[in-house]
Amino acid sequence: MRKFLIISIPIVTIAIFILIMLSGDFLKRPLGKADNIPESIQLIVNDIESEKWDAADEKTTQLEKTWVKIVRRVQFSSERDEINALSVNIARLHGAIWAKDKSGSLEELCEAYEHWDELGN
Amino acid sequence: MNEGLVVFVRSIIGFFSLLIFAKILGKQQISQLTFFDYILGITIGSIGASLTTDLSSRSWPHWIGLFTWALLGYLTEYITMKWRYAAKLLEGEPTIVIMNGKIMEAALKKMKYRVSEIMELLRNKEVFDLVQVDFAIIEPNGEISILLKPEYQPLTAKDMHIQKASEGISTELIYDGILIEENLRQLNKDKAWIIDQLKQQGINDISEVFLATLNPAGSLYLDMYKDHMKKITDIGDYKGPY
Repeated sequence: MRKFLIISIPIVTIAIFILIMLSGDFLKRPLGKADNIPESIQLIVNDIESEKWDAADEKTTQLEKTWVKIVRRVQFSSERDEINALSVNIARLHGAIWAKDKSGSLEELCEAYEHWDELGN
Repeated sequence: MNEGLVVFVRSIIGFFSLLIFAKILGKQQISQLTFFDYILGITIGSIGASLTTDLSSRSWPHWIGLFTWALLGYLTEYITMKWRYAAKLLEGEPTIVIMNGKIMEAALKKMKYRVSEIMELLRNKEVFDLVQVDFAIIEPNGEISILLKPEYQPLTAKDMHIQKASEGISTELIYDGILIEENLRQLNKDKAWIIDQLKQQGINDISEVFLATLNPAGSLYLDMYKDHMKKITDIGDYKGPY
């Protein structure tokens, strides 16, 4: 029994560590209805293209809250720069929406999506 | 991102991964370091540190680097154990630098050692006179091994034709106030015996003993927590505020 534990404990420990380090790609995916980043980005794109700035601003605030929830899950397996860059994109998106800047808003959304895609990869 | 928490989790991953890999690599890494083993240890440690604190990249690539270096170190060890030629090539061979009292200048030149460095190594082994040295060998880990001439070697019991009984290895019977029953059994003793021995020394309970060791020859060493030393020698030369 002791020999079994001496061999299995390190193997299980290493397996858990590998799971934690590779969990980013899995944990960034939506677990419920309220934490779907790609869907949120697409909805904001639709609003901006239709020039529904108030709705876009509201959805951006909701995206920010969703992002805070997801960061808590993916922070152990992602690069800090990707996380910070996506946060900065959301902040700049707010500014672009207030300025009713269509091209600036869409640029930020495209970049945000790219950062989300790179998370955990 | 909670950077402190992430560093904490990555530290745990790095620490225990390094611990497991070091155990697998074995004791050779610690006690018989060649120059390359030393560099391997430093590199693995450096990768472990990056895994912990370099938040600008994911922990996974650092862990893979750590694993790969540890695996290559293990494979190198395995190959050198199975294939003697590889061992000579990778780890080097011991080199005789003094033979029959004569300095091997060609060997020194090949190893890029100066005579002053050999003298320094000899002095580190408390040999100040080359006249005393019969053989000196530089090991692959850089240490020097010395065989003194017979007339300069310390006297042994065999030289005096004295028979000495083997004393065996001391085994711990009590450590930190706790009795180690398995070791008692190995020495064919029991709890009643050790309690009797302690009573003979005026000790009433096992928990009063910090350390007790016994060797097969019957030599029992006891150290209590309360040593009752009235005057402890102070070897410091500064009285200080505390």
